[in-house]
This record gives sequence, C-alpha cells and structure tokens, in this order.
Amino acid sequence: MNDNGCIHLNNFKAAKGIHPYKIVHAFFVSCTSYEARRYKATSCLCFTCGQPGPRMHSCLHCIYFACYAGHIQDHSKSKKHFLYVDLSYGNIFCAQCQDYIYDRELTEIAMSHRLKEAKSLGISVPFMPWLPNNNEALALRRLRKRRLISPHTTIGLRGLQNLGSTCFMNCIVQTLIHTPLLRDYFLGEKHKCKAQSSGKCLVCEVSKLFQEFYSGAKTPLTLHRLLHLIWTHARHLAGYEQQDAHEFFIATLDVLHRHCMNGVEDTEKKENGRCNCIIDQIFTGGLQSDVVCTSCSGVSTTIDPFWDISLDVAGPGSLQACLERFTRAEHLGSAAKIKCSNCRVYRESTKQLTLETLPIVASFHLKRFEHSSQIDRKISAFVSFPAELDMTPFMSSHRRAVDVGATDNNNAPEGVFEDNRYSLFAVVNHLGSLDAGHYTAYVRQMKGSWFKCDDHMITRASLREVLDSEGYLLFYHKTVLEYECDVS
Amino acid sequence: MTVNNTIAHQRLILSGDRERFKELLRRRLIECGWRDQVRMLCRDVVKENESNNVTFDMLVTRVTPRARALVPDTVKKELLQKIKTHLLTQKDQ
Ligand SMILES: [Zn+2]
Ligand SMILES: [Zn+2]
Ligand SMILES: [Zn+2]
Ligand SMILES: [Zn+2]
Ligand SMILES: [Zn+2]
Ligand SMILES: [Zn+2]
Repeated sequence: MNDNGCIHLNNFKAAKGIHPYKIVHAFFVSCTSYEARRYKATSCLCFTCGQPGPRMHSCLHCIYFACYAGHIQDHSKSKKHFLYVDLSYGNIFCAQCQDYIYDRELTEIAMSHRLKEAKSLGISVPFMPWLPNNNEALALRRLRKRRLISPHTTIGLRGLQNLGSTCFMNCIVQTLIHTPLLRDYFLGEKHKCKAQSSGKCLVCEVSKLFQEFYSGAKTPLTLHRLLHLIWTHARHLAGYEQQDAHEFFIATLDVLHRHCMNGVEDTEKKENGRCNCIIDQIFTGGLQSDVVCTSCSGVSTTIDPFWDISLDVAGPGSLQACLERFTRAEHLGSAAKIKCSNCRVYRESTKQLTLETLPIVASFHLKRFEHSSQIDRKISAFVSFPAELDMTPFMSSHRRAVDVGATDNNNAPEGVFEDNRYSLFAVVNHLGSLDAGHYTAYVRQMKGSWFKCDDHMITRASLREVLDSEGYLLFYHKTVLEYECDVS
Repeated sequence: MTVNNTIAHQRLILSGDRERFKELLRRRLIECGWRDQVRMLCRDVVKENESNNVTFDMLVTRVTPRARALVPDTVKKELLQKIKTHLLTQKDQ
C-alpha cells in the first residue's frame, strides 16, 4: 500500500500542516475526551441533507460535514475543497484522485488517538495486525525459504523415548511444547540467556527442544539432558522410580521460573511484587481467601499466587461441579477457630476461596491419588470436563455480585468485555494402578486437531476420545488474549 | 431516524458505549475469522481487476453484499441482545 498520500494532500499539508486533521480526528473520529464525545454526539449530521449518513465526512479545509450520498461531491464542486476525513474510520478521501489516500504521518496520529480513546473508555488496546518493521521486512526478503502450514500438517509433533518409567516427564514436556503462548515465546527466541554456561540453564534447554520439535524431523527424541537438569535443580524429585506427573509439572515450572530470573528477564519490572517471567506471565493466577467471622461478620482477605488448582474428585461428576465446590463458602467449625482481628478473640468463621485473577493457562489437578498412613489408593471416579470452559462463575468479582444479590451485570458495557472463556488444549491421563501405572497425554496441535502422545508413539485422536478419557491433569488456555493498555 | 432514535443514538455516543459496542463487534468479527474472509474477498476483486485501477468504491460495491452475508448469526444475536438489554436498563434509570 502506498502511504505517501497524494499530491493534493501533500500540498495541503505543506500549506496548513497536520493540525486540521488532528483536530477533526480527535473530536469526531476517535474522541479522546468527554467534551469531544459531546461534540460528536450532537453535531455529526450532514450540513446539506441533515442525515447522519451514509458515511459521514468532514471537509478538511473548512470542517463542513457532508454525507457520501452526493453531498461531499457537491461541496467539492462549489467550494473547490478536495480533502475529506471519513468520520467512522478516519481515512482521507481526495475528491480529485476520486479515492481514499493514505499518509504515514496521519495514520500514526490516528493510531495514537485510537489508543487514547480506548484508554479513556477503559477498554484494552484494539487489535492491530502484525506489520513487519524495516528489519523484519529485510529479513523476509533475504530469506526466501517459506514453510506453508496446511490444515493437515503434523508440524510440531514428535515422540519421546521412554528412558525407563519416564512417561511422567514425556507427558509434561508434550503439554508445555503445545502450550500456545509458550510456543510463541520460544519460537520467537525471546529467551536471552545470562547464565555463564548454557548447559546449566533449563530455559535454554527447553528453547532447544522447541527447535527440535519444529525442525520437521520425525524420529523420537531422547530427553536425558532435560531430565538430568531438572533433577539437578529439584533434588527432591531425583531417585524415585515412577514419579507423579503433577509433582513433576510444578517442579519444572519452578526450575524454569528460577532460571528465567537469572536471565535478562530479572531486569524487567515486577508489578506488585509478582515475578514477571514468562512462566509467571502464563501460569500464575491469584487465589483469594476470605475468612468471615461469624460473630462480627468482619472479613479478612488474603491473595496468594497459584500455578494450578487441585480439586477433590469424590462426589462431583464434572469439572464445573468440582470448581463450584472449591469456591463454596465453608464453615470451619468449632474445632478450627481463628483469631478475629475485630473481636480480638478466637471465633468460629467461614472461609471461601475464589479466583481473584486468572492465569492465561489454567491447570487443574484432579486429586486421583490418595496417600495416607493407612492406605495409598487411586480414585477412578468419572469427572467430565468440557472443551470450552467459562471461568466467570468462580471469580471473586462474580461471587461478590452474587452474594449481594445483584443481578447478572454482564450486559453492562463495562462488563461487556470481561471475557473469561478458556479452551482445553492438553489432558494428561494416568492408566492402570498406583504402583504399575503409565502416563499418556492428549495435546491439541491446531484448532480442532488432537493427538495422543504415548511416549514415542503419536497417533491422531478425536475430541470425543479426549473428553471421554479419565483425566488427571487438565490444561485450558485463555480463548481471547487482551492487549495491555500502556499509553500514558 | 425518529427523534427518539436520535436521542438514544446521541446518548450512546456521549457515554462512549457506542464505541464500546463497536469494539466488541470488531473483536467478535476478528475472532470468528470474518475479517480474514473479507480480506480474501477484497484480494480476489483486486486480482480480477489487475489491469484497471481498483478504487475503494468499487471494492465496497463488489464486496459488501457477500461480506454482510458472511456475518455469523451468533455474532448478530449477541450484539443485538447486549444493546437491547443495555438500552432497557438505561431507560429505567
Ligand atoms: Zn470545505
Ligand atoms: Zn447529505
Ligand atoms: Zn489527490
Ligand atoms: Zn538460558
Ligand atoms: Zn517467575
Ligand atoms: Zn469477629
């Protein structure tokens, strides 16, 4: 696209500058203030026919409002004014060129106004398609090799050798490799390592692993280096024969997070004390705990970060029911009195857990293994889980609204953008008994395209098959990602 | 447009809600792939007319009917429902 405008616009800019466009755009296209919205609300009618459209434009020379149904054409004939700003989209129409024209400088102004408007309305930055910068455009021209991703591609799929009961690791690696945002991070080569010797950084090792998975080769990989690294840095895991995939998942996130901190990422700002590394950006949510004193109704609230949610499976029957029970207020009873800061004595109280902030990847751990001094057993109770999950009912803000009896305010325009939809993208299963078990994983490779990973064997699977499986660890990815609004 | 409609419309602009709904619509159309489909339609028109100079008006007349038909019913329903509920709650106040 040519973004050098046209001779007419260039002459206009030379004579009058960019100010006229700036004013029209800030007041009538992307209103950057309440005052501007008042102008827009009351005056956006065609001066000729009094209608609000079709396609209202403003003359850039004299701010005459006219519609595209002939009236800007009339105005340009009688007044010899040729440039018009489209009031819906901010583009410029040149009546001499008989078409819309694009100018880089004015496009940038329009963009900055759009960001300001979004901020003033409290909505996140609008979607902007990726445009290559000069370096990227140059690289694209130089590197001619292209790989076309077809809908039936098997790219990113690779089996993993079992090194002797290491299926617990293989499942977690397959899950991490198919976590969309993590994949984007690593394939974008975002990890800049500061570790002195690269052989010691788990983040570097995972980075290499992504390259292996997406190299196009099909032979199964052997992960002894990765396993060794994790065992070195999470000593409590080393030595067991068969391990718990859940424990391994948490330990892996922890080592990755620690190694990220040694990288460049630690120089980035940490918001309200929370780590900003890629692991925490993707996996960390906030769990709110409200303890209410039954005598004085005083509430004490704490918020703790979490990487996953462990759910009891006895009883419920569905993931939503498990979550419903997880977030229900629970009476703590006389045996578990808590000192109330208001009453200054130990009181009975109720406790309720809710989700204060949601992570981008929501990981659920169904507690199928029961370990006690008397007995170790596996609970194979059926728990159904959906492909699409809305987390709104389990959020602190929602629970509060329900408690005070407020009606569903999801239709209020402020709530219109609250989007807590999640899509299933990986399921880890435990097959067999407690002591002679085997782990497999289902991963979503592309939208609607599922595969079963059984160590070195990768086979195509249907969504039905995934949803009918028992389920031990369930991984959901946020369906829509918000852009951060950091305009000053 | 009736007088009442105009006032409702003005109120929507004034409160910023019109932009909010517009942004919601924009997001839904991107999510469901409509935006990409329309891009492809535009590409086809440009390719068919490679010899002539394609203008915006020409694109609009050729693509709009097909683009309108491609908007999923679920998107239309959601927007209609949300705007309706919003206008009704406004009236009560
Ligand atoms: Zn004029
Ligand atoms: Zn008119
Ligand atoms: Zn021109
Ligand atoms: Zn590293
Ligand atoms: Zn971290
Ligand atoms: Zn108390």
